[in-house]
Amino acid sequence: MSNKAAKNLFIYGSLFFFVIFLALTYDTMGKLDKRAPEITEQVNAGKMAWHKYDCIGCHTIFGNGSYFAPDLTKTTDKKPKQYLVKFLMDPKGVKATAAMPTFGITAKEADDLVAFLEWCSKVNTNDWPPKPILATAAGVGGQELTAGQRLYRSLGCSNCHLINGIGGTTGPDLTHVGGKRNQEWLFGHFKDPGKFVPNSAMPKVEAPDADLQQLTEYMLTLK
Amino acid sequence: MSIRYESQKIAQNFYTFAVLLFLVQVLVGVIAAVQFILPDFFILNFNIIRSLHINALVVWLLSGFMGATYYVVCSESESELWSLPLAQLQFWATVVTIAAVIVGYIWMGLFPQANNPIMGINPLSEGREYIEAPRWADVLIVISVLLFIFNCFMTMLKTKKWTGIQGVLLGGMVFLALMYLPGMYYTSSMVKDQFWWWWVVHLWVEGSWEIIAGALLAFMLMKTIGAKREVLEKWMYIEVALVLFTGILGTGHHYYWIGTPEYWMWIGGLFSSLEPIPLLLMVWDAFRTTRENRNVANKPALFYTVAHAIFNFVGAGLWGVIHTLPQINKWTHGTQITTAHGHLAFYGAYVLLVISMIYVTLPAIRGVKEYNFSRAYQSFWWMTISMVFIVLTITGAGMVQVYMERLMGLDYVTVKANYNLWFWILRAIFGAGFLVGVGIFVVDYFKLGREPMSATGLPPAVL
Repeated sequence: MSNKAAKNLFIYGSLFFFVIFLALTYDTMGKLDKRAPEITEQVNAGKMAWHKYDCIGCHTIFGNGSYFAPDLTKTTDKKPKQYLVKFLMDPKGVKATAAMPTFGITAKEADDLVAFLEWCSKVNTNDWPPKPILATAAGVGGQELTAGQRLYRSLGCSNCHLINGIGGTTGPDLTHVGGKRNQEWLFGHFKDPGKFVPNSAMPKVEAPDADLQQLTEYMLTLK
Repeated sequence: MSIRYESQKIAQNFYTFAVLLFLVQVLVGVIAAVQFILPDFFILNFNIIRSLHINALVVWLLSGFMGATYYVVCSESESELWSLPLAQLQFWATVVTIAAVIVGYIWMGLFPQANNPIMGINPLSEGREYIEAPRWADVLIVISVLLFIFNCFMTMLKTKKWTGIQGVLLGGMVFLALMYLPGMYYTSSMVKDQFWWWWVVHLWVEGSWEIIAGALLAFMLMKTIGAKREVLEKWMYIEVALVLFTGILGTGHHYYWIGTPEYWMWIGGLFSSLEPIPLLLMVWDAFRTTRENRNVANKPALFYTVAHAIFNFVGAGLWGVIHTLPQINKWTHGTQITTAHGHLAFYGAYVLLVISMIYVTLPAIRGVKEYNFSRAYQSFWWMTISMVFIVLTITGAGMVQVYMERLMGLDYVTVKANYNLWFWILRAIFGAGFLVGVGIFVVDYFKLGREPMSATGLPPAVL
């Protein structure tokens, strides 16, 4: 190949691929709005707050960012909004071991941020992040579960609480909760956490009394 | 060795700025590594430290590219710069702008509310990874780059020696400037925000910067070995052509999971898998050329040049391709695997490139034939061994994270705080090792050609 031919290959070949890229970009832009919910004023305000506090300096969203703190793409699917709002305003007050600093996020900004994160959670991300293989498998087959264990799963308790190392770390570890709390405390706490733990960020467990009773029984086995 | 044109000395200003920012980048990098273990360590939070770490990186590499380009354009055009005062003005304007941006980040770190939008625009940080620089700084940076390109182009126009090397180099610079623009407008959709953000980030590091690397590689091989221009330029064209053929559509590997259509999985997976090919070609090019002539005067320059070609392929190529297919990326995306790739790619492709250019051109700028080689090799081994181990520890952390968080379903914080703790500790230790290497390099940069040499060309201490 002569130098001139190599040069032409570079210039015209690159232009060719760039034109294809532009065409695909045009097509993608037309499809994006259908793959995400409508952007309300509050969602946009939340995005502005996201940039203002440089959240991406620690977190990732859609998997892009700083890998220092959890990915927030589906966070509103897992954590109660009430918890998120409280946590954003005073992270260490809600969870003493939290690494997140207090930025002075206002109540309005916290609401906006949660609206923004909720919008992100509803974007069609081609099923990312994937459901963990082992955790999903454990819920399908295996041994018979007690009614309380089934409720623990269906109510999503493990999004915030740990049992034997599995689950979230935002709420207290429940591995030995049965040795620390009695039936009355557990049952009453499910109905209204704020009555038992001042300033609790946990939402009330919305379930019939019979179910709460089963859940309490399960907690009492954790010793 | 000495320079033929006085204006080539302007390269030294840019190099000095680059070298100092490199030191800052690595200092804050070590702080960030410690914050992985102790989040409350240091007065500035991790987000500010990380902004400083990655912005210092981008700016010092760009500064190195600019200095190198001014040097190359004079050399290739066989002429003084069109306007040396303009280049000096452009240099100092850049330094002042960057200094103001850095002060802004620190200010925001101390007082987060100071970044409250003024007329809808964040005054201190855009809060977007890599392009955190606020809008007013964006505008000034674009003006600076345009002045730089204009000055280079007018210099070429003086003698009209349209060599392939300077043509491709300037082409890469123009592409770089153009690709900064998509990051300069606000969109209320986070999906579109990330879509255009990748135009800047990907089409820089896997597009225009690799073009600049291809052109500088040819220039360095020509200068250190005296290889034939014709052959070098032909392979350079083929390399940069393949960089763009694979890299432009390879952008698709960032469009798997951000809310973009599924067809990007096919396009991104296919083209990004081919991205290592031009980088491997550059390695072959470097070895083929080096075999031609073993009688090289400026040995560290050639040493760094070949090392750059190798680590460009390993870091940007291999460490990228292992997780570029959507089937794998689904599990590794957003984990420490990406961090590992980022570190080795930037080190191999661009850190070693700028240092190579410094060793190729600085002896001539300082007007010396010989200089003390030992520090150049020492710093290379300290930096390279440390970086390889930093990357191995983060790769290990990434594998643990993928298995425990993504496959088993453990919580992010549990994995980070418990199971990966030792990886963070080892990473911080190797980070300190890297800092030692950078320290040796900085000392060498300031002393090179400025200390007495014995008659044999070896430094007095060695005899």
